[in-house]
Amino acid sequence: MGLRPPAGDARTGDCALTARAIRQRTLRHLSRAVPFILFIVLWQGVSAANLVNPDFLPSAVAVGTALVRLVGAHEIFDNLGTTVFTCFVGLGLGVLIGVPLGACMATSPRIDGFFSPLIKATYSLPKTALVPLLMLWFGIGGATNITVVVLAALLPLIVYTYHGVHGVPRVLVWSALAMGTPQRNLIWRIFLPAALQEIMIGLRIAMGFSFVVGISAEMIASNHGIGKLMFIYGESGAYDYMFAATISLLVVAYCADRGLVHLTNYYLRWQDSAQRND
Amino acid sequence: MTEQLNYSELTLRRLVRRVGALYPLALVAIAWEVTAQLGVIRGIFLPRLSTVLELIPKLAAEGQLFEPLLVSLYRAAGGLLLALFAGVTLGFMMARNRVIQFLIEPLVSFGFSSPKIAFLPIFILWFGIDHVSKILLVALTSVFPFIVSAYEGARNVTINQLWAARAMGTSNIALLQRVVFPASLPSLMSGLRIAVPYALMTAFTAEMIAGGGGLGGALVLAQRYFETPTVFAYILIMLGTGYVLDIAFIWARRYVLRWHEG
Repeated sequence: MGLRPPAGDARTGDCALTARAIRQRTLRHLSRAVPFILFIVLWQGVSAANLVNPDFLPSAVAVGTALVRLVGAHEIFDNLGTTVFTCFVGLGLGVLIGVPLGACMATSPRIDGFFSPLIKATYSLPKTALVPLLMLWFGIGGATNITVVVLAALLPLIVYTYHGVHGVPRVLVWSALAMGTPQRNLIWRIFLPAALQEIMIGLRIAMGFSFVVGISAEMIASNHGIGKLMFIYGESGAYDYMFAATISLLVVAYCADRGLVHLTNYYLRWQDSAQRND
Repeated sequence: MTEQLNYSELTLRRLVRRVGALYPLALVAIAWEVTAQLGVIRGIFLPRLSTVLELIPKLAAEGQLFEPLLVSLYRAAGGLLLALFAGVTLGFMMARNRVIQFLIEPLVSFGFSSPKIAFLPIFILWFGIDHVSKILLVALTSVFPFIVSAYEGARNVTINQLWAARAMGTSNIALLQRVVFPASLPSLMSGLRIAVPYALMTAFTAEMIAGGGGLGGALVLAQRYFETPTVFAYILIMLGTGYVLDIAFIWARRYVLRWHEG
């Protein structure tokens, strides 16, 4: 897709790093784990000293054991798989609808005039409120949850694509036209690459939304998924497993977010305005 | 020609243009009403828009509208207030002290993007299904924008401003009150704008999941009895609430930041 980086300037920067600088960077990254380790130690200490009722707060070791057992028993993968599938399919459909729509709105005042009042009007609605309605139409779980995730992911994608495409300098468009780029190729060759940074920000927000809404939908009504599993454990009093399921979910969401940030930095390394965001 | 237009005519034209720009909403409303009237879709799946609109004053008269809405708003506002205090304190402390920054920053960057609603089962276990668990969950969701914006706002205070204030004999607490807090207000207002929709959404969603009253709980109950028009009415009310709060926020920001050039 015509996005080859100009002769690896970002690469040479990496190669120029000395071994010492790399070691320091690794150390800095590792040191970010310290607060989490302290937190776990504190948690275990509180439990070991019998300061809290273990029914309310299972010890860190008990939750860790439950987590290991859950991962071993595949139960967690089935349910996490359902959740992640819902979120990513919803997010993907959101991208397929939201990015072209945002781009069209930014380039055509008429399309903008039609959709922007609709978007402004529905912007403030918590999308989870639609779960009970969609359940009537599509049944429990499955399509209902995916639809809600799509709706939640759409808005940030539309808004950020719109702003990204809107902010493309006219000079770029004129030069492309002057160099003979056909009008219909403008969107692929100019608008989307130039707006990619904004779109990726929108994608990151949309991914956060899709996890929140996906899990919420499962908690409201579902037969499957990690949101449901947590409540099953909670209702049957297996609190160590409930905590373990929560932690596994948070870890998955965190990894997805970090993955997206790395992907963004990698694909935008050619852009001089690319700010490495943490 | 335009020069001859007087003021009232201009505002009238602007008004007409503004209302005219809302035609897509009218189109959707008409499409909804016509589809429902034609009877292609059964009323239990898609009630008429007119039925839903007629229902709203009825619900209000029966006390099934404003009472649950107030409960939800109370939870959202309580959580927001807690988050504001905790977030601003933590953010300022992070900006001031490197050890605290070292300890909190990784937790904030982990917590900011994580789906906090996942803590709901734990919060229900600890705090029950009434107000407390929901208020605390709202606080947890909306505390991160406040921490980040307070931190960034406080970092924006230049060292010269601090020196000048110190030289004029400002005490540490007064420094916070007179310099750091006003300097971070614009940033805090941006944080608030992110946090308010989060707070509303979390309050409504937590009520839908855990029950315990509020508009979210009422919505789920109505759905359980297949009162679809009531469900639609509640959704419209939620939508309106978010909209009104956003407009109110814009006005409030203009007032609070009237001294600020941005």
